[in-house]
Amino acid sequence: MEWFDCHAGFGVPVKSPGGVIASAQELVEELDFCGVAEGLVYHASVVEQGPEVGNQRVVEETEGEPRLHATWAMLPAQTGELGTMEQFLAGMREHGVRALRAYPEQHRYLLNGVTFGPLLEELTGRRIPLLVGPDWKGITSLLAEFPELTLIVVRHGSWGDDRYFRPLLERYRNLHVDTSNYQIDHGIEDVVRKYGPERLLYGSGSPELQMGAALLTTAQADIDDDAKAAIAGGNLRRLLAEVKL
Amino acid sequence: MKNSSAIAREFMARGKCEACPVVDMHGHYGAYRVMYFPRPYAEGMLATMDRCGVSCIVCSSHTGLVDAGRGNAEMARVIEEHPGRFLGYRVVNPNYPEQAAEEVGRFSREAGFVGFKFHPDGHTYPITGERYVPALEYAAEHKLLVLTHTWGDSQYDNPTMFGEVAAKHPGVTLLMGHSAYGKWDDALAVARDHDNVYLELTAAYEIGGIIERMVREVGSRKIVFGTDLPWFDPHYGIGAICFSRITDEDRHDILHRNAERLLEPFVAGGRRAR
Repeated sequence: MEWFDCHAGFGVPVKSPGGVIASAQELVEELDFCGVAEGLVYHASVVEQGPEVGNQRVVEETEGEPRLHATWAMLPAQTGELGTMEQFLAGMREHGVRALRAYPEQHRYLLNGVTFGPLLEELTGRRIPLLVGPDWKGITSLLAEFPELTLIVVRHGSWGDDRYFRPLLERYRNLHVDTSNYQIDHGIEDVVRKYGPERLLYGSGSPELQMGAALLTTAQADIDDDAKAAIAGGNLRRLLAEVKL
Repeated sequence: MKNSSAIAREFMARGKCEACPVVDMHGHYGAYRVMYFPRPYAEGMLATMDRCGVSCIVCSSHTGLVDAGRGNAEMARVIEEHPGRFLGYRVVNPNYPEQAAEEVGRFSREAGFVGFKFHPDGHTYPITGERYVPALEYAAEHKLLVLTHTWGDSQYDNPTMFGEVAAKHPGVTLLMGHSAYGKWDDALAVARDHDNVYLELTAAYEIGGIIERMVREVGSRKIVFGTDLPWFDPHYGIGAICFSRITDEDRHDILHRNAERLLEPFVAGGRRAR
């Protein structure tokens, strides 16, 4: 099984209750400890300080670590902090960044068409995945505006969010959810049975979450091997292969 | 993978570990309003337990959280129907003191109960309140366990309040449900300072690095495993323990040895975990 973690980070946070994965090298060591081949990663500073710094650091610090795939975070083009949309997309091309993250609560903006219309159209057309946290009201509005957007909702749960996301899985074919905090008993099996394995992606949520938790849950889910391989990494590899930078 | 733990390797390969059975000290039973449970009843829970190598689970019924008498009776039936696999905590609702006294009075080891379950947040009544005292005194007299929900920022069951109860009732073995999630410094200090307090891991295990910290600062002999099943897949918490940087001896302590030691007085009469 070639595991590909869709939600992992590194960098020293302002505060951590337990463990810190300070560097890209330490993250690779953690992946090795858990038997995970690759990670789609962010730098802690992207959340706490902002994308101006975090986008640069994740690219610089993952250089020479081919198993780590950098993601960037977006900001409204109207404030110009990350340049124009065209410059932002050119930067993604230059650095091979094939997925974006959005932190509307932490970075204080509305993730919608008014704020990000042209960029969200580009993401949709280029099939660039956007990773977001579980603001289900915001996600419902976003998908109503951009129904073909490739969206990956990470760290939903730990209380089951199924009553929120299952109606959206039914309606929007490019919506995916990760397993980093999907702790509900028999949840993976139930989602696979109803919606197929294509909609779930293995994520660890590390270092905030313990990397091995979702790993064992996914590895031992009561589903067939093909479905498990898809969730473990196949789905994410397919999504990233579809990206047209 | 480079994790050399024999326990971790067997769980990854088989989903269970012959040498390291799991005892779940924090379970529930049945449906509950807050979320969708694919398998909230005995047949589904037992299938999960078998898949994950969980030999025994100690539960309070969800029904009991809203209707203690009815829920405790339901739990007694489940225990009776599945001897050795289910044990129970009787729920005490302090908002109805007379009913709470009846539930304490109905306590029976023979029926497979090991103590009481408090849910101060759910019942919006402080764990330090007088209405819990009869159950605590009964538990001290009869050497029972008390599992109480705790949460870091709660006004009803934060770790400081839990510590006050632990100090006032040193004869009661108190399981700090969720290890007062979020206020780790205070929770670990309470567990370290009181011999009668155990950290219970449900949900807490998810936090990166917290298990290592608990083992380092409190010791693995004061940590017990739980899942809230039918809420959480036991593999999630087991995975967190398997991939923490602790020893296999620590894993044995957390996953079963401590629970077996606590449950020994209650299972000696034939209800021993399978």
